[in-house]
Amino acid sequence: MIGNDIVDLNQALKDSDWNRKDYLKKIFTAEEQFMISSGTCSNLLVWLLWTMKESAYKVHARKFKLREFAPLKISCRNLIVHEHHAIGEVNYDEELYYTSSTLQTDYIHTLAAIDQTDLTLAKVMISAYDTSDYRSTGPASVSHHGKYLALAYL
Amino acid sequence: MNKEVLTEKLKAIISTYAQDPAALENMTESTDFITDLKINSANLVDVVLDLEEAFDIVIDNQSMERMLTVGTALEIIEIKLSEK
Repeated sequence: MIGNDIVDLNQALKDSDWNRKDYLKKIFTAEEQFMISSGTCSNLLVWLLWTMKESAYKVHARKFKLREFAPLKISCRNLIVHEHHAIGEVNYDEELYYTSSTLQTDYIHTLAAIDQTDLTLAKVMISAYDTSDYRSTGPASVSHHGKYLALAYL
Repeated sequence: MNKEVLTEKLKAIISTYAQDPAALENMTESTDFITDLKINSANLVDVVLDLEEAFDIVIDNQSMERMLTVGTALEIIEIKLSEK
């Protein structure tokens, strides 16, 4: 089971002010807030961690048939960030999910999976968003943000 | 504060983030913030923060977890106002 999430960084800049008072406190754990504030790439980390949480949420919500907005229950750990790629783990209600992220100038994309091997087996297609019938191609997970559409197949 | 006033205040706040104007216009208690109003999940936090400021309340994490519809948002605001 996989889930994916994309953030259009230009869209995020327009729509979200994470410097707003109490914003980070509502969605990131103390450890995550520390990671964000201690580095030089705060904006990148905010959206990297956010896509990790969102992609893991998509897997978790499908697996347990639940809906909730509980970003603080979803915690990112063991994050290793390279220039254009990052890997990590996400804990959500005692469940563990593995993540693999792509970092580009204009977007951040994360794929989350229950089985680590699915991260390499899955195919991710990132394209400009259009209203074509992409669902007929049978993606396992769909994410749309700003000008991007991300489809993950397994 | 009666429910009508409360609903109008809520509507004004979510109108900033809702991306489906028709769904906002026809909003009912069962209207879903994400699936109906197409509010971006990262903006749900802004809705929570705006509500806290507008009503001078604190929305705890447990309340935020279930704040996915107009109905639950109204219920949470009413509970928090009554606790003041």
